[in-house]
Amino acid sequence: MQALLSFEKAPPLAAPLRFFLTAPLFAMLAGLLLLVEGPGLFASRWSPATLAATHLITLGFMLQIMLGALIQILPVVAGANLARPLAVARVVHPGLTLGTLALSVGFLYGQPTLLLGAAALLVSTAGFFLWATGRALLGVPSTSPTIRGLKLALAGLAVAIGLGAMLALALAKGWPLALPTLTDLHAGWGLGAWAGVLLAAMAYVVVPMFQLTPGYPARPSWWFPLAMLALLLLWSAAALFEIVAGQRLAQGLLAVVGMAFAGLTLKLQNQRRRARSDATYRYWQLGLGCVIFALFLLLTASVWPGLAEAPGWPLFFGVGLLVGGFMSFIVGMLYKIVPFLSWLHLQNCGQAKVPAPAMNKILSDLAMQRQMHTHAAAFVLLLAAVLYPDWLARPAGLAFVLANGWLLANLLGAMRAYRRHAAEIAAKLAAL
Amino acid sequence: MTHPKTPHVVDARFMEPPEPFVKTMEMLDTLQKGEKMLLLLYREPHPLYKVLRQNGHVYETELVADGTFEILITC
Repeated sequence: MQALLSFEKAPPLAAPLRFFLTAPLFAMLAGLLLLVEGPGLFASRWSPATLAATHLITLGFMLQIMLGALIQILPVVAGANLARPLAVARVVHPGLTLGTLALSVGFLYGQPTLLLGAAALLVSTAGFFLWATGRALLGVPSTSPTIRGLKLALAGLAVAIGLGAMLALALAKGWPLALPTLTDLHAGWGLGAWAGVLLAAMAYVVVPMFQLTPGYPARPSWWFPLAMLALLLLWSAAALFEIVAGQRLAQGLLAVVGMAFAGLTLKLQNQRRRARSDATYRYWQLGLGCVIFALFLLLTASVWPGLAEAPGWPLFFGVGLLVGGFMSFIVGMLYKIVPFLSWLHLQNCGQAKVPAPAMNKILSDLAMQRQMHTHAAAFVLLLAAVLYPDWLARPAGLAFVLANGWLLANLLGAMRAYRRHAAEIAAKLAAL
Repeated sequence: MTHPKTPHVVDARFMEPPEPFVKTMEMLDTLQKGEKMLLLLYREPHPLYKVLRQNGHVYETELVADGTFEILITC
């Protein structure tokens, strides 16, 4: 029986791990930028440092972990095997890392050459990733809402990256495009169609599996990804034809659909069979609360557009959705994925003769909970800094650096524990 | 637990991995060739599918309204 557990030709741990260990460094860079820039970063969503920090988080942190996790998880959740996962990781990781750095520096110093170079690097890297995953998913029928969600999310990524490249070209070449409208659309596709749909597709599997909740009901699970993409198409068409009411309607409906998903997840979590509240559960509770808060802001602004013009509104929305929402979901999932993958590989190392240690021996819940408190404190400080930037911008930056440094320390600690246990298992096998 | 599709059921909906896999393989060990068993899960178990195919088992999956995947496996 034990031998059968090594059934899975799991991609080597090195494939996703490089992404997971790089992501906290980018978040620390965003925190450092805030520490250096101070209140200026909260002046406007369009300031160079704010654009750089936003992309350090969305590309440097979120996309790093999402792509790394997908390389690992596609065979498990979709039965789609990448032909050479480690080779894909070796191409995507440096492309995304260098592209993100170039883009951030390009924003910060207003360097057209860097913006163009970054756009070329990011488009080719994302294109390669989409080609590799598309090939693996080709011929895999959409037998579950997760598989349909994955396919639609990848389409969302393609549009988000395409719009991003168009914006970078427009900035670098001075093309006369409607930059605010295009930027909103780029963010909508990136955060709604890509990150939001991907999150839901993963949640359908990981929330019941790791938090022992009931499953997501079939009908809304099938419809959520389709509804998100349809609404983004509506928003795009309305933007193309300059129909303001259509754009606002699509944004408002996207907020409602997103809040419905978050509300359903909260309801399922309340019915969970696991009495203990571990770090992942708490991270998800924080994330869901923040997403509902951010989407409520979006909904109110779609009804009363003047609100979005209020000082601080875009930053409240951005901090709530990115730091409170997506970062919380992602770290919460990492705290299950990293110990589980380590356990799986140790199980295989033991060759059914030496058992793998329990997952909490690889990363303790106490270490995760403490890091989570720092993340929550950094999030609250960031929100407060939107209101009182002169006082709180730098403390918020420092807290954000600390929270992500701690995350990195936890992940490195898990890797040390993994190596120690692997050596112990090898020694025990040799002695048999 | 029994089910209209078969009396041999593993309800793994509130089990953590790898328990659903282990319980399914254990039940398959007890069945005669041609007998059917049902695995209930809130996800599609793709790694298990692969092992089932390798071992020559046939399976059919149905997603029902409450989000349960009913996987009917022929031994």
